[in-house]
Amino acid sequence: MRLLIHIVFLMFIFTFTSHATSMREPIKIGSKVFSEALILGEMMAIILEKKLDQPVIRRLNLGGTKIVFDALINEDIDLYPEYTGTGYVFILKQASVIQDPEVIYNKVKKDYYEKYKVLWSPPIGFNNSYALVVRGDDPHFQEIQTLSQLPKDLSKFNFTAAHEYMERTDGYNAFKKFYQLQFDPDNVIGMDAGLMYGALKEEQVDMIMAYATDGRIEAYNLKAIKDDQNFFPPYWAAWNYKEKTLNKFPALKEAVEIFHNLITEKEMISMNAAVDEYKRSPRDVANDFLIKKGIIKGVLSNKKVDSSFINFAYKKRKYLLKITKDHIKLSALSLFLAILISLPTGIILTRYQKLSGPVFGVINTIQTIPSLALLGLLIPITGIGFTPALIALFLYSLLPLIRNTYAGIQGVDKNYIEASRGLGLTSFQILKTVEIPLALPVILAGVRTSSVIVIGTATLAALVGAGGLGEPIFRGVATINSQLIILGAIPSALLAIFVDKLLALTESRLISKGLQLKSKH
Amino acid sequence: MIKVENLTKVYNSNILAVDSVSFEIPKGKIACIIGTSGCGKTTTLKMLNRLIEPSSGKIWINERECHEMDAVKWRRSIGYVIQKAGLLPHMTVRENIELLSKIMKRTKKERNSKSNQLMEMIDLDPQEFASRYPIELSGGQQQRVGIARALMEDPPVLLMDEPFGALDPITRNTMHDEVLRLNSKLGKTFVIVTHDMEEAFKLGDEVLLMDNGSIIQKGTKEDFLSHPKNEFVQSFVSQQLNKDL
Repeated sequence: MRLLIHIVFLMFIFTFTSHATSMREPIKIGSKVFSEALILGEMMAIILEKKLDQPVIRRLNLGGTKIVFDALINEDIDLYPEYTGTGYVFILKQASVIQDPEVIYNKVKKDYYEKYKVLWSPPIGFNNSYALVVRGDDPHFQEIQTLSQLPKDLSKFNFTAAHEYMERTDGYNAFKKFYQLQFDPDNVIGMDAGLMYGALKEEQVDMIMAYATDGRIEAYNLKAIKDDQNFFPPYWAAWNYKEKTLNKFPALKEAVEIFHNLITEKEMISMNAAVDEYKRSPRDVANDFLIKKGIIKGVLSNKKVDSSFINFAYKKRKYLLKITKDHIKLSALSLFLAILISLPTGIILTRYQKLSGPVFGVINTIQTIPSLALLGLLIPITGIGFTPALIALFLYSLLPLIRNTYAGIQGVDKNYIEASRGLGLTSFQILKTVEIPLALPVILAGVRTSSVIVIGTATLAALVGAGGLGEPIFRGVATINSQLIILGAIPSALLAIFVDKLLALTESRLISKGLQLKSKH
Repeated sequence: MIKVENLTKVYNSNILAVDSVSFEIPKGKIACIIGTSGCGKTTTLKMLNRLIEPSSGKIWINERECHEMDAVKWRRSIGYVIQKAGLLPHMTVRENIELLSKIMKRTKKERNSKSNQLMEMIDLDPQEFASRYPIELSGGQQQRVGIARALMEDPPVLLMDEPFGALDPITRNTMHDEVLRLNSKLGKTFVIVTHDMEEAFKLGDEVLLMDNGSIIQKGTKEDFLSHPKNEFVQSFVSQQLNKDL
C-alpha cells in the first residue's frame, strides 16, 4: 500500500514539473488523424522550427473535425489544416449549393471570422474533394467513366465511407439524392477512413467515398468515377487560426505565406502514397518535400523503411518510453482517484440501501456510453488533452470498483457481524476490523478489473491529444502502418498483463492467510 | 446475578415475540432456555445483551440496570458465544480471542498473558494454536476459542446461543463437561439457549421452558419430570427425551 502511495505521489510531481515552460512560447499545431493532415502538420512544424526559428508543440492525431475545431476554439491548439468544404458544410452547417471553389473559400473566410474570429490562410494549393472510387479491374464498372453513367440501382454493391461522411449534410444522403442512386441500407457501412481503401482492394466492399488526394487510389490501382455534374463541393486546404494568434506570432504570418499555393494535387497524392503505401513517416516526407522545394536546407532522408520491427522499435525507443510514461501516468492517476471515491461510496451504499438503486443506475449508464462519445461530450467542457481523458477513464473505472466494494461488504456473513456486535464492537469498529478485511478479496478483484479496463481504454486518450500508447496505434491505423500499430498495441497489452499480475501478487499479501487457506474438511 | 423483569418484545406494533418474561439467575448458576423454534428463546437471549432492544421491561446484572449505560458498553460486560462460534476467519486464534481487548486498548503484554491463560484453560496449547486460523481447527476447538474470546474481558455473565448445535454427539458431550468445569471454576453466571432437553437438564441449574413468547415452566430436571405444569410440558419433555434414546 505504501509503495502505491509513493508511486502516485511521484506521478503528481511528474505531472506538475513536466509542464515547465520553455524559453519562447511555442505554437501548438493540431491536425486530424489521417496521413494528409499529419503531413501538413509536420510540414508546418518544420517550417516554423527550421526556417523561422519558432518553437512548436505537435498535437497531431486529434480525433475528427469536431474535436480539432473545438480544440482550436478552446485554444488547446493554435492552428490546424482544414478544407473549405468541411468548414462550409460541417462547421457552418450550410447545405451545399455553391460549386465555385473561389466563392466557397470567400464565404467560409467571412463567416468564420464573424462567428468565431477564426481566420483562413491563403489556400495551400490542392483540392481534396471526395471521389467515388471502385476497383480498377471491377468488371461492373469497366464502361463507366462518370457518376451520371452509373446504374441507378446499386443495391447489390457494398458502399463504404468514413463515419463523418455518413453524418454530413453534403454527405451520403445528399450524394444519393443528387445522382438519384439507390443503395441497400444493409450494404452501407461507416468505417475508419484509413481502412476503407484496403477493404476495397481486398474486395470486402465494392465502392468507397474516398478522398481525392489519397495516395492509395493510385497505388492500389483504384478508379475514381468522374463527378460530371459537379456535386462534390470543393475542398481547398488552408490553415485555420484565431486572429489574435496571428498577431501574437509573426512567424505564423510568414509560414502561411510560404504555404500559399505550395502543394499541387499531384504532389499531395504522391506524398500521401509515400506515407500510406511506402510506410515512410509523415515527418520525413514533409521534410524531403521542403528540401526539394528549396524552402529549407538539408539532406534528403530518402531512407528505405526498415522492415524489421525490432529495429523500428529500437529507433523509436525514446518515443516509446515517453508515451508509455504518459500512458501509465494517465491510467494510474485516474485509477487512484476512482479508488479514492469508490471505496467510501460502495460502503455508504451498503448503509443506505435505498440509494444503491439510483446510484448504480447512473454508473451503469455511464459505463454504456461508448468511450469515444464520452470523450466527445467532455471536450466542449474541458478542452482537449489530459483532463477529458482523465475524467473519462475515472468514470469508466467507477462501476467495477463501487459494485465490488458494495457486493463485497454486503456478502459478509451476517453471523460474523452479529458475533462482533455481541462482543461489544461499534459499527465503525465492525466495518474496519471485520467487514472490510472480509470483503477485501472481492474489492481487490474490482481493482484488478478496473485497472485492466483503464489501461486498455487509455489508448483512446490519443484521440483527444492526451498522448499515451494509443498514439502510434491510431497513427498506424490512419497511415496503414502495422509496425506503428504494434508499437502501441504490444506495450499496452503487456502493461495490462503486468499490472494484473502485480495486483494478484499484492492481493496475496493484503488478504489474510486465513481467507486463502482451504478448509481441511 | 442476572435478573429480568417483564421483558417484552413487540415487532411491527402487533407481533408479540416475547411476552412479559421474568426470571432471576443467582451468581454462578447456569440457566438453560429451551423451546421449539419461534418460541422466543433466542429473542430473549439477544435482549439480554441488547442485540435486540427490548420493547419494555428491565434487566439487571449485579444490581446494574441495562438502561444505565449505552448498548456497546453493556455488551462488553457480557460474554457472547454463538453457534459455530462465529470466529472471524481472517484472524488467528489469538487475534480472535484478543479482539475486544485490542479494541479496548489493553497493552499487548496484558492481552497476551490473558489469552495464553484462557487458551490453557480451554485445553488449547498456545504454542501450537495461537497462530492458527479458524479454518485449521475442528468444530469443538472453534467453539472453545469462541468461549475463550467471550471470557477475555472477564464478564460476570456469559450468554450462549445454541453453542453446541453444530457439533457431533461425542464432541458435544466433551463440551458439556467443559462448560460445567468452567462454570464451577469461574463462578460466572451462564445463560444457554438450546433446543435439546437432555443438554438443558445436564447443564442447567434451572431450566426455562418457553412457548409462544412466555415461560411456561421453570425448574430443575426433577420438577419437570415429576411435576410437569401442564400437558404441553409433559409431552414436550417426553418427546424430547424419547427422541434422544
